[in-house]
Amino acid sequence: MLEIEKLRYQFPGDKPETMQFDLSVAAGEVLSLIGPSGAGKSTLLNLIAGFLRPESGRIHVNGEAIEHKPASQRPVTIVFQQHNLLPHLDLYTNVALGVSPSLKLSPGQRQVIKDALDTLGLTGFENRKPGELSGGQRQRVALARALVRDRKVLLLDEAFASLGPALREELIALVKALVQRKQMAALLVSHQPGDALIASDRTAFVHDGRIIALQPTRQLLQKPDLAEVRCYLGTL
Amino acid sequence: MTLTLRSAYRVPVILAVLVLAPMAGLLSLGQLPGFEPQDLQFWQSAYIRRVIFFSLWQALLSALFSVIPAILVARAFALNGNFRFRSLLLRLFGLPLVVPSVVAVLGIVSVYGSNGWLPLGRSLYGINGILLAHVFFNLPLAVRLLLPIWQAIPRHYWQLGEQMGFSKWHRWRYLEWPALKEGLPGVLLLVFMLCLTSFAVVLTLGGGPKSTTLEVAIYQSLRFDFDPAQAVMLALLQLSLCVLVAVVMLRFQRLPEVEISTSSPASKSESYRSLLNWVVILFAGIYVGLPLASLLIDGLSGPLGGVVSNIYLWQSAGNTLMLGLGAATLSVIAGWFLLRGSSELANLGQFRRAQLVELCGSVIYVVPPLVIGTGIFVLLSPYVDVFEWVYPVVVLVNAMMGLPFVIRTLSPAMRQNQMRYQFLCQSLALSGWNRFRIVDWPLLRRPVGLSAALVAALAMGDLGVIALFGTPDTATLPLLIYQQMGAYLIPQATVTALVLLGLCLLVFWGLERSIGGKTDA
Repeated sequence: MLEIEKLRYQFPGDKPETMQFDLSVAAGEVLSLIGPSGAGKSTLLNLIAGFLRPESGRIHVNGEAIEHKPASQRPVTIVFQQHNLLPHLDLYTNVALGVSPSLKLSPGQRQVIKDALDTLGLTGFENRKPGELSGGQRQRVALARALVRDRKVLLLDEAFASLGPALREELIALVKALVQRKQMAALLVSHQPGDALIASDRTAFVHDGRIIALQPTRQLLQKPDLAEVRCYLGTL
Repeated sequence: MTLTLRSAYRVPVILAVLVLAPMAGLLSLGQLPGFEPQDLQFWQSAYIRRVIFFSLWQALLSALFSVIPAILVARAFALNGNFRFRSLLLRLFGLPLVVPSVVAVLGIVSVYGSNGWLPLGRSLYGINGILLAHVFFNLPLAVRLLLPIWQAIPRHYWQLGEQMGFSKWHRWRYLEWPALKEGLPGVLLLVFMLCLTSFAVVLTLGGGPKSTTLEVAIYQSLRFDFDPAQAVMLALLQLSLCVLVAVVMLRFQRLPEVEISTSSPASKSESYRSLLNWVVILFAGIYVGLPLASLLIDGLSGPLGGVVSNIYLWQSAGNTLMLGLGAATLSVIAGWFLLRGSSELANLGQFRRAQLVELCGSVIYVVPPLVIGTGIFVLLSPYVDVFEWVYPVVVLVNAMMGLPFVIRTLSPAMRQNQMRYQFLCQSLALSGWNRFRIVDWPLLRRPVGLSAALVAALAMGDLGVIALFGTPDTATLPLLIYQQMGAYLIPQATVTALVLLGLCLLVFWGLERSIGGKTDA
């Protein structure tokens, strides 16, 4: 459903580096991206989300080219590791921003927000500020907003990196269920190879601005044939 | 995209025009009445040589007398850790920033003047008075600039030092001095620059041609000698000196940030406390507090009724208020758009240009307001009656003077906001008015309120451009105070100063509260 073809991006700075990505994610799939920091995992997500402009290449969602659309009009929603929520707005308003940036809500939209909060187990917390929530709850709110935005592609940029193992596992399971139910295509960037094992049947390994391996997760992590992957995993 | 880019340069371009046009005015020197080519050979005039020498000399002494004691005071604050009146004292040290210079001068006069508690008699007027006032302003400033240096020394260094049995000397040699050395030249140069361009203090306490600085000489040639040619030449001289200092300053750019929180480092153990440090803190507190306390006592026991029933006082108070609010509004709006532009450039990866745009806002540091005032005077006087344009000119120049403060206060918060939420806003289609209302305003209103309050207080207390252009109708309180002092009506001036101080604090507090809003988590 999400197709990326020869997506090139020139990293600005003192020593320019050209990245190029090819990748496809099916509906209902959570694909994991692993690799050393600086390899280009987050850059790829930022390109798909529309925060960065590619030099050339295509991004298709359900056959429709999206690479020229502004970020807000892409069928894409992203959850960051932190600063997903505005600290001065309560939880309900933070989620509502996903429906309408001017916060003018119809009764139907209110119901959608209510359902999303319910799905993520946040009912009763509507009036809390982000500062009063735990890290896990904050990421649930961010997921609730991703849900109400109702987009085809879900990007998770180390979204669970600051949570403990049990909580991470729980939220990944939740994401998997949601992605399957809504038939979204999801990309999960993580520093914990363990996350990929739980989340994904297939995992891509990013190195120096390229995807150099795309394999069944178990094979990639447990029987890596590439030296770069073994080096990253520390099993060389 | 190109549209946002162009808008990024809008404010810098306006600023450049505002600064450069008066400069062009200055350079039209050749057409001024009374210009003789030999006027340019300023080094042949004993008067001008003396003025240049005195400007530099008093600035050097002021910088040394402010910063060297400030090292001791900042160190005492840092090492004595958290004590009872610590935050109160540090707040007192923040006061000279908003206390108008004429008010401080009257405070100094009421302590060290002939009727004061520590009378210096006539010798107050001249270098002594200038130094006393400059140290009053700049010692607390230097303390607040230097204190964070100590607080930035990692706590583990102190603990390691303890483990290795460092003596006081060792601690200074290995921990404190290396940290201090980085920031010290910047602080010294900043204070030097502030004293080099200081106007009101020298005007009121200089007491004659013997101790005149370039800044005051410019004023005198415009206001009393009616010699625009000489004023322009002095202004150009002053400008070159300032640019020179600024260039040196850029080499030591590591100016530490002013400490915002008044909390102490939780780490310091009490074992670093010493009696000597208490004495240092006590003396500094008395030095800064005494003029204000004395002013308050003298003012309240002064001819209150006579001053308050004077219609001029209220007219001037009204002008002062209008000036403060006008300058604050203009300055904050300009600062907001300038920083918006700069952060948009930074987002596009054009960090150099972003920095340049931000630097434009601080250009007034290098161009003394009186120089701009002179330029405007020269530029406008052939076409209009300059004295009919007093209000817009004075508001404009004061807004420009306030801009560096707006940028310093607003820039870190704005950059942080942009870094945290730009992608979120893009993906949620939060832009324009919605973005302002939902994201920027709630998160930035506190620094906006603080900068508006600062600019208003500074503008209201300013005796600079207003002295150049002010007429009885358009006088502000500082000008009224100066006139009262000139007529030796010191008790009246003291009461007026108290009114000005009250008004400044009220406006500061009011703006900070109303714009800044309640503390939001």
